[in-house]
Amino acid sequence: MVEVRAGEEGFHPDDFEDEEVPHPRSWWTKYVFSQDAKVVALQYAGTAIFVGFIALVMSWLMRIQLAFPGALSFIDQDHYYQFITMHGMMMVVYVLTAVFLGGFGNYLIPLMIGARDMAFPFINMLSYWFYLLAVLILLSGFFLPGGPTGAGWTLYPPQALLQGTPGSQYGIVVMFASLCVFIAGFTMGGLNYVVTVLQLRAPGMTMMRLPMTIWGLFIATIMALLAFPGLFVASLMMLCDRLLGTSFFMPAIVQNGEQLAHVGGSPILYQHLFWFFGHPEVYIVAVPAFGIVADLLSTHARKNLFGYRMMVWATIAIGVLSFVVWGHHMFISGMNPLFGFFFATSTLIIAIPTAIKVYNWIFTIWRGDIHLNVPMLYSLSFIVTFVVGGLSGLFLGNVAVDVPLNSTYFVVAHFHMVMGIAPLLVIFGAIYHWFPLISGRMMNEKLALAHFWITFLGTYAMFFTMHYLGVLGVPRRYYELGQTAFIPPSVTSLNIFITVLALIVGAAQLVLVYNFIRSWRHGEVAARNPWRATTLEWQTPDMPPPHDNWGPQAPKVYRWAYDYSVPGAPRDYIPQNQPEARA
Amino acid sequence: MTPATPAVDRQHSGRLFFVVWAWLFALSFLSWLVAYFGIAGIPRWSLISVFMLAKAALIVAVFMRLAWERLALVFAIVAPLLALVAFISALNFEAVYIHSQRENYQGVKAP
Amino acid sequence: MPTDLTVAKKSALRQMTDDWSADQRVFRGVTWGKAMMWVFILGDAFIFACFLLGYLAVRHTTTEAWPNTAEVFTIHVGGKPIPFLLIIVMTLILDSSSGTMALAINAAHRRERKKCAALLFATVLLGLTFVGLQAMEWRNLIAEGLRPAHNEWGAAQFGSCFFLITGFHGLHVSFGLLFMANIARKVARGDFDDGRRGFFTGRRGRYEAVEIMGLYWHFVDLVWVFIFALFYLW
Repeated sequence: MVEVRAGEEGFHPDDFEDEEVPHPRSWWTKYVFSQDAKVVALQYAGTAIFVGFIALVMSWLMRIQLAFPGALSFIDQDHYYQFITMHGMMMVVYVLTAVFLGGFGNYLIPLMIGARDMAFPFINMLSYWFYLLAVLILLSGFFLPGGPTGAGWTLYPPQALLQGTPGSQYGIVVMFASLCVFIAGFTMGGLNYVVTVLQLRAPGMTMMRLPMTIWGLFIATIMALLAFPGLFVASLMMLCDRLLGTSFFMPAIVQNGEQLAHVGGSPILYQHLFWFFGHPEVYIVAVPAFGIVADLLSTHARKNLFGYRMMVWATIAIGVLSFVVWGHHMFISGMNPLFGFFFATSTLIIAIPTAIKVYNWIFTIWRGDIHLNVPMLYSLSFIVTFVVGGLSGLFLGNVAVDVPLNSTYFVVAHFHMVMGIAPLLVIFGAIYHWFPLISGRMMNEKLALAHFWITFLGTYAMFFTMHYLGVLGVPRRYYELGQTAFIPPSVTSLNIFITVLALIVGAAQLVLVYNFIRSWRHGEVAARNPWRATTLEWQTPDMPPPHDNWGPQAPKVYRWAYDYSVPGAPRDYIPQNQPEARA
Repeated sequence: MTPATPAVDRQHSGRLFFVVWAWLFALSFLSWLVAYFGIAGIPRWSLISVFMLAKAALIVAVFMRLAWERLALVFAIVAPLLALVAFISALNFEAVYIHSQRENYQGVKAP
Repeated sequence: MPTDLTVAKKSALRQMTDDWSADQRVFRGVTWGKAMMWVFILGDAFIFACFLLGYLAVRHTTTEAWPNTAEVFTIHVGGKPIPFLLIIVMTLILDSSSGTMALAINAAHRRERKKCAALLFATVLLGLTFVGLQAMEWRNLIAEGLRPAHNEWGAAQFGSCFFLITGFHGLHVSFGLLFMANIARKVARGDFDDGRRGFFTGRRGRYEAVEIMGLYWHFVDLVWVFIFALFYLW
């Protein structure tokens, strides 16, 4: 047998170094069936934002029903539950995951690591088309008899499949089918992001020189690749239960005096599989936001990121730990009580790396040269929102505190703060930050400031108030509260307050859309590297970057991403691809 | 483009693969024998598990050539799989608990 | 080809930390495609693990007795009942296809076009036999009254798990066969020797495709090992 040294067997990447980026030849392959990660990113983000507006309108309708019961006569109980379900599912999976990984991931990963494109552009393109297909399947639920499913975004069996739940005939099938397609599509994209970060970095770009944005996207993608299988399998089994009459999750049930055909399934198994996906999913949304916000803070405070290595390891720790905390969503499900102890402990442990990150963000801006421009404002508002949401998470992570608070508005307030609004604020900040790169123009700052203050103050007031409702015991997912003794009249006025805010904040998002479209055409032409950032995406030969990102000369990396205000340097930042500090 | 010829000889002799192939046959056959002779209880499960893991190890190490990969790749692949073992055991534990609850409260007997 | 001669002298762990702290790539000597397939396999392993843990969980949870698989999967040969006969034959065939695949990869490393193509076609044939036998097994059991929702031998979940798990695995085999037949055709035609461009991707095919295909195929065999032990024999 021939002696073979480790890693030298078979094919070597150096044998194939002449791989070229194929240039599109027609309008179709350039803008529609494009294999360019930057175009795929815009397609992903555009579709996701479109879905986001649908979900936003549904939250409006729910809020109107809660504040003024019966004001809109077409919102009956069924519609209300359908809105709840679709709002939740769309926002979590089809909007936030898609915007961060599909949008920012595709755009920023190749640029920030100094690659010419993703590793597999064709598969990357397919990923978007699968995503679009999943969205279309999901939306088709609105046009089917019975409408989309109204089982709540967690889609728990047995109720999700039982007659009487809205959409239990077609809507639920469409929902799970759409999730399966989404997961298939996401896997294609996810493979690309992981392999690209691992294998396609520029010379000099070590893992420990990656900007935190890339670390966030990278860890989130790995988590998604390993967490989505739980949802995928749960979806297939639910489809079997619904279509083939099997009993994976359906126990023996008597409905309306009639014994159903299901026997002996385990509904708790579904909850385990769902939350094995569901909890990492929270961090799939949060971790890229953590990364982006670290970069925004550092850039706009003109100061190096505090504790970069600690940040990286905290991100990794969050990624690993997020796989062992899923049971804290199930404290009252009837699972093994010993699990309650275990999951409460692991949940409190995950607060440690998260707290490390919060401290490091704050130390980063400590005595920095803070520019209070729009991306910075969004980053600061993110920290505020995230800290509040994170602290209420500590309440809910303890079994004894969770039992009374569970299924109240406290939970709604918690998760909207921590994984709804907080990542959304980062998305907005990131849009304002990278818009000059994408379009070559600046966004209108006045409109942006108006959008920021309305969005931040509005959402904060909305969801902070909900904590109070939760402590009062107002249950979530109720169509209307009616005359219940323990609910004081203040709840009604607060509900009106929240609804009015929700309408205003929702409408304010049109300002962003208007600003985006107007600035794309008529905005002030951006200077090269307008934020004076160090990361590679701003060092491209053109802005916006050309198809192969770098033109003839691919970049070389000499330093980490946070050389701001280096003493003795001529400028207050040194780009990653600049060899000498005194160039 | 002409494919580059490898500068160093980076191949294995085919013989190793035949040996592994034979082992796979033998292990499959052995686990089948366990079932054929109806060995039950703990011996059955431990024997089947051992044969299963041995086969899996052979396929991953030799056929998928993980044994010749550098540790960076080996570790990246194997470490998450260990997490799976924990997940599977946890849910097994849970399933047994649910069954015991059904026995307690629904008056059904263990099969 | 650049090789780091100091590598062999370092301890494996040291080498690992060096690889993870290197620039450009973490997995040295691993092509992009191979890295992608490994990551995909990792995700797919989680999918199959979820199937198997779902099966084990419902098996433990259900209050009905689990059917005796040795009875269900028995085939009578000359009046004599032999348990798991079809299953062990299927297992040996899939193992063999893995063997031919491994040899095909070896041939691909040596750029032996004809040998590689022949071994790939042999793998496709063995794979087709496996799918055929599986279809036969499904037909037999359906004829005996096994349905996804109920059966006569015991817990209803037995049929559900059987059809879902073997079906999903069979789907993997079938998709693998489609791709493998295509790659075998490309090898035989010499696409990988003259650098012909792919129809969909517009990129040059390379012998590396055989190795990546092989990883997938071995993984499918690997999954079967667990299904064989945990679902059939357990």
